Parts: sequence; structure tokens; C-alpha cells
Amino acid sequence: MPTKARTGWKGPAWALPPVAVLAVVFLYPLLLVVQQSFSPDEGGTSLAPYADVFASASFRSALTTTVWLAAGSTVGCLVLGFVLALVIAFVPFPGAKAVARFVDVFLSFPSFLITLALLFIYGNAGMANGVWTGVTGAADGPFHFLTTPWGVLLAEITYFTPFVMRPLLAAFSQLDTAQLEVASSLGAGPARIVRQVILPEALPALLAGGSLVLVMCLNEFGIVLFTGAKGVTTLPMLVYSKAILESDYPAACVVAVVNIAISVGLYSLYRAVSRRAGA
Amino acid sequence: MLVHSRTGKWATWAVFLLLFVPLFAVPLLVVLAASFATNWSGAFPSGPTLDHYDAATAGDSLQALTTSLVTAVTASLAALTIGTWAALAAASLGRRGKRFLDALFMLPVAVPSVVVGLAVLVAFSQPPVLLNGTRWIVILAHTVLVTAFAYTSVSAAAVRLDPMYAQAAASLGARPSYVLLRVRLPLLLPSLTAAAGLCFALSMGELSATMMLYPPDWTPLPVQIFAATDRGSLFTGAAVAVVLMAATLLVLFAVSRIRTRASYR
Amino acid sequence: MTGGAEAVRGGIRFDGVSVAYGGNVVLDRLDLTVEPGEVMALLGPSGSGKTTALRAVAGFVRPAAGRVFIGDRDVTALPPHKRGIGMVVQQYALFPHLRVQDNVAFGLKAQKADKAGIPGRVAEALELVGMGDYARRYPRELSGGQQQRVAIARALAIRPGVLLLDEPLSALDAQLRSGMLTELARLHRELPDVSILYVTHDQVEALTLADRIAVMDKARLQDCGTPQELYRRPRTEFTASFVGNANLLPVTVAEPAGTVDFAGHALAVPTGSVAGGATATLCVRPHLVGLGDGPNALTGTISEVQWRGSTHRLYVDVDGHRVKADVRELRDTPVLGDRVTLHFAAHDAVLLPQGAGASHG
Repeated sequence: MPTKARTGWKGPAWALPPVAVLAVVFLYPLLLVVQQSFSPDEGGTSLAPYADVFASASFRSALTTTVWLAAGSTVGCLVLGFVLALVIAFVPFPGAKAVARFVDVFLSFPSFLITLALLFIYGNAGMANGVWTGVTGAADGPFHFLTTPWGVLLAEITYFTPFVMRPLLAAFSQLDTAQLEVASSLGAGPARIVRQVILPEALPALLAGGSLVLVMCLNEFGIVLFTGAKGVTTLPMLVYSKAILESDYPAACVVAVVNIAISVGLYSLYRAVSRRAGA
Repeated sequence: MLVHSRTGKWATWAVFLLLFVPLFAVPLLVVLAASFATNWSGAFPSGPTLDHYDAATAGDSLQALTTSLVTAVTASLAALTIGTWAALAAASLGRRGKRFLDALFMLPVAVPSVVVGLAVLVAFSQPPVLLNGTRWIVILAHTVLVTAFAYTSVSAAAVRLDPMYAQAAASLGARPSYVLLRVRLPLLLPSLTAAAGLCFALSMGELSATMMLYPPDWTPLPVQIFAATDRGSLFTGAAVAVVLMAATLLVLFAVSRIRTRASYR
Repeated sequence: MTGGAEAVRGGIRFDGVSVAYGGNVVLDRLDLTVEPGEVMALLGPSGSGKTTALRAVAGFVRPAAGRVFIGDRDVTALPPHKRGIGMVVQQYALFPHLRVQDNVAFGLKAQKADKAGIPGRVAEALELVGMGDYARRYPRELSGGQQQRVAIARALAIRPGVLLLDEPLSALDAQLRSGMLTELARLHRELPDVSILYVTHDQVEALTLADRIAVMDKARLQDCGTPQELYRRPRTEFTASFVGNANLLPVTVAEPAGTVDFAGHALAVPTGSVAGGATATLCVRPHLVGLGDGPNALTGTISEVQWRGSTHRLYVDVDGHRVKADVRELRDTPVLGDRVTLHFAAHDAVLLPQGAGASHG
């Protein structure tokens, strides 16, 4: 029944002040970025910045790196998150609740902490290489992947997996355990139950969590910055280096516009999916 | 309930621990351990010391802590105000209006934080409003970034809030403003505090936009940590990171205490 | 009383009130007057428009047409908080973050009543519902019945001229419900000036409490009268079937008036307004149907027997029509297939014009 109209704050007028604030501090700046992406340093309005950026090798490699890193991380997070959430929800052990709480806490820490930790573990002078040289007597350890895209991949999977686990745990808690018991009484093994009962129920949550992680990976900056790898440049990293290190604002704005287009497009997809999933 | 045999269960748990502990528990423990060490080139850190904490709680780092706290508190309060206002307004709108506001206020989540930083930098380095080089540009960017999260969590709660309470209040002669202050906001308090905690934590750890914007006299903790690791002082960086985590956890804990009290009533 | 909401003594009047949601009419031209101090029950099945009518008085729905008056005041365009009504809903809607006393004081504070007088009025309202000892509790510490009492005290504390009760007892279990029914009747005796609009789907509540009952179905007012009138002399088939139990027999009115033809049997009935030769419905309450020979005798086969403690309900098949009779518990339990004769007195039957109001069941 349409009953709320007469008790709360009435009308769109009340929505105006916060929308106005958002417009000034967010939408208008965003518009300026788009505008500047069409304004080369020489003045005037042209597509020249786009042509320049698209032609540059650094942009192309950043684009490829960003996309495959994000895609790879997302797949990794989905697989890992699904397995871990499955165990927490359906093979519960004492302390499973604490683990779920830990996951929540983990989410409230910044991403670059993971890279920082990995530097101690797999860094050139870190723990893993130290153990290797100590055991084998070699001058140098075998772990140098941290400054390659693989290091970023590992950090992103670690950091973003909880973002998949949370919606999954919520979805699993909605699942009627009687369904599992019935399936199991009918002679279905664990693999079959997972495939035919749990997976279909979890699919919306997986989709929603997966697309969220995809967007966040596309936008991730801290992890990449902290690896300090010159070889790994993603779109957000390129925006930073163009703007801050090179002061090439038109180019930075072009990369920003491309990044926005990809992320916002995927994010709309995420919203559509999660709305259908009822999340 | 999925795996019934004893061995099957233990095997599952073993796999779980094997995945979970190295991936999630070890990194945080490593940072913690490193913050107390002078050297770590073997299996275990060596040279236990508190020197890094002396450095992490004095001078620039102490400054960075206060900078972060001031930024996070200010940005969270601003975001909470804007987000709550928008969420309450959205809840009273029709379906289409609500969808529009949802899309609008969720947009900052989708836009890369670096780009938000760039946009704010571009917009407020020129008249009419010159903020570049001041702390306000950092606080402003943080507010933009966390408002979306305040909006989402308050909005979800506002939709769930049964309209019968507001109607009961109105039938008792309460004006809409009185209903808002005495009924709706108190009933939303648990989600408001949750939103505040989330905003605070996000702002404390914000690095991307901050890197684009921070003036030399306003360097929050994440920038400080990056600066330390970038010049090779990994162990000092770890100590500052522990300070960051501790401060965040402390505030989250305090907020959750308020929340349990609010929902207990 | 200070502030925007002034309690107005003197009833409620619906003047052609219609409510529609997106082209769907949920209340159709309601004309109804609740006299000052009267208890009016709005009785009907779900979806009949009764709750909508109540919400139109409260101000939570805006009529598409018509006017709502509280006393002499046209409140159609007034927001809820300026109407000076007390309202109690099924789910109680007690504010969970406030103690019982603050819940009850809420209306007084919201209307900026004289501060010094508030504690006294809160205590008075709580005493009225027998909840004086629970003032410092939180709602979640109370049982459903206690919460309902507090909700009533909260509504009464602002001394409204009009009290709206929306299915107030339907969340309570059966035993508690009958206790609260007695409470409400007592409350009404103690507050003789308050007009009460009582929405319910339960005929027992309506028959017990109401001075008059307005029977609603399919967005319309079907019938209105005192409980006795509606029970003894229903005007429509719907009322006959919804208020109490009824045999509704299809009959043809014979000439001269005073007899009808039911499946070939001539039955004596009170002279009604139905013209001779027309088809009509004859309403006879099952408990007024007797077993054995007598006036208006009908013979048939028992098709079902239900034992209800003090009575037996017999379903008797009379020439293809099912007739219900509630008879005192029989020493010799009737058996299925027995042939029995039923009878009823002419003055216990009511002749209803066919198609009057909506047909039901």
C-alpha cells in the first residue's frame, strides 16, 4: 500500500540538498575530467589526446595487464571464496564463527597491507628466499615473482576473496539445511549435493560477488603501487603516473575516462545482477 | 552436514586451514612480527626491538596518525550526514526516484578512487574553489569516496524500517520532524553506527585518491607507510601499518559497543 | 490539549469516500456515520476495504473522492498528526527504543503538552489498562497482551475524541483475546465520550463490542445496524452468511404473500418486501431449526453429522439442498443416511431479495 507518502519527508525537494552536494564535489569534477580529456595542452578541443594515448605502447600494455589481472584475480577469488565459504557453512568446526568474524575484520583493512606482508615473505631479501639460500647455500633465492604481475595477482586474490565469501556465507545461511539432508538421504554424495543443490542456490551470490571483485580489481591501486614494480602498470597506476609524475593531465584524463567506462559499465552489470539476486 | 565421515571432516578442515591460514592469517601476523624485528632474511624475524614503534609514534608518523584520525572522523561524519539524508529522502520517494538516487550515490564506488582523486584535483585546483595544497582537498575526496557506503547501509535499513512506527507516531500527533528525530533516527541508530565504522575504516586505509592529492603538511598514515617502504624502511612501515590497524580496530570496536547497546534497547 | 492536534468530541463521518490504488478501487463511495461515544465495528473479510476506511480516518490514505469528518471538522486534507486521533494497530507498533512510560508519554510530548502534567497523565493511562507496574520496562520485555495494553494506553493518553482500532486482537492467542475483549468493553464504559472505530474480520469481536456493525465486502458497505438487527434481520445474503451462520435457501415467493416455494415445499414466512413470483433467498439460522415434525417441516437424509460438545450439527439433504441444523446434544446419536424431519418457525426466517449485495459462500 502506498502509505509512506504522508508520514515521512515528503517529495523530491528533500533529496535536493544531498544531490546538490554530490553534484558539486563529485559529478562536476568528473565532468571536468571528461572535458579535459578533449583538451590537449596546445589548446582547443580535439581528439588528439585520445589518439596520442591510444597509440602509446604503455597504455596498451596497461590496458591488457589491467584486464587480465582483474579477470584472473576474479576467477581465483571465486574458486577460493566458494571453497572456503562452503567449508565454513557446511562442514562447520569450532571457531567457524570466529573465522567469519575475522573475514569481516580483514575487509576493514587497506589492501596494501597484503603487499607489504608479501614483501616480507617473498621479497628479494625476504623470508622465503632467506630460507632457500640458507638451506641450499645458493647466493640468490628463486622467488622474484613479487615484482611481476603474478605478485599482484596473488595479493589481489588474497585481499578480495573475503568480498566473495561474505555474500556467499549470507546466501548459504538462507539455504534450508533440510534440503541437504533430503538430498543426502536420497543417496547423493557431497560432490553431487554441491553441484546440484548448493551451486544453483549460490549462483546469484557468486555472480554478484564476482562482478564486485572484478570492478574492484580493475580499480585497485594500492597493491600495485606497493609492489614497486616498474613492469606492472595498470590503468589506475597509469592515471597516477601521468598526472602526478609527468603532469600530463590530458593524457591522465583520457586514461581515467577509459577506466571509468570499463568500471562503471561492469558496475552497472553488478547492480543489475545483484538486484535480480535480491542482494 | 555435507561431509559425514570423521576422516572426511578432518581432511576438509585440513585443506581449509592450509588455504586459510597462509593466505589470510599469515600476512597480518607477518606485518605484526616484522614491526618488532630489525632483520628478516630467514624463516623467522630476528633482532627483537621496539625502535620502529618509537619512530612510528613520534615525529612525522605521529603527525600522520593524527592527520589520519582527523581526516577519517571528519570525512565519516560528513559522509554520514549526506548519506543518511539522501537515504532517508530516497526511502520516501517512489520506485523510480529511489533507483535514481541509488545509482547516483553508488557511482563513486564504481569510479576508480585514483580517478576520483584526479577529478577532485582537476576541479579544485582552479577557481572558483581553490583547495589544492590544503588538507580540505584530502578530506573532501575521502568524503566523496565513503559517502556511497554510508548511503548504502543506511538506505538498506531505512527500507527495512517498518512504516508503522512512523505512522503510530504521526497518529499520536507528532510532526514529521519530530517523527524523524525521535522515532526514525533512533530506530536507525544501529545501522548508522555500522555505517560510521565502515566509513571510518575505509577512510583510514584510503591510499589511491590520497596519493593524488595530499599536500606535504597533511600526510595520512597510508602515505606514510608507502613513503617508508618506498625508501626501503620496510620494518618502520610495518610498525606504522600496525598502528594503522590498531587505531582502526579500536574505533571499530568502540562503535560496535555503541551498536550493541543501541540494538539492545 | 495544546499544539496542532485538537481532540474533537463527536464522532466520525464518511461522506462518499472512495480510495483507489492505481485504478484499483479499494473503497467505493463509503457513507457512514459513527456517533459520538459509539463503538462502530467495520466487519468484513480481508480485502473488503475496512482497513482502508480506517486509514482514511487516520490520514494514511488520501481519498480519491469524498470527505472525512471528525466531529464537525473536515479532516480530508489534514496530515495525520493534526487529526487528534488515537490509533492501535495489530502489531502494536510500540517504539522499541523507548520505555513503556516514554511510549505512553510520546504523544503528549510530541504535542507539547504541559510538562508538569505529563507524568500524571501517563500514570493515569497506564492504570486504566492495568499496566501501572510496568512503566519502566521496555516493550520487548512484555508479552503480546501486555504490549497491546500499552499500545492502547499510549493512544488514550492524548485523550483523543476518536479511537481507531485496527484488528487489535488478531495477534493474540484465543484465550488472551477473550480476556482483552472484556477489557475493551470495560474501557469503553469508562470512556463513554470516545468514539471507537473497530476494524475486524472476527464476528465474535464485532458482536461482543460494537454498538453497531458496518459489514463490508468488495470495497463496499453492505449493511449496517446493531448486532441484533444484523443477526436477526440481515438485509443481504452476505451479512446473513458473514454475521453468524445461516441456511440460505433459494425460494420463489408465492402469491399471496406469506408463503414461499422451496423445492416444491410450501413454507410460511414473514411477509417481506419481495414481490410475488420473484426468486429470493430464505435465511434461517441453524440453531433455530428443530428436529422433528412442526411448522415448515422439511424431510431429508442426514449426509453429515458433527458433534460440537453441547450441540450436534446435522447436515440434511432435502431434495438436493443442504440444510444445516444445530440441535441440542442427542441421546441417540443420529446416523448417516437416517431420514429426519426438520422444522422452523415462520417468524425465525428472513426473506432476502436475491442479488441484494454481493453473494457469498
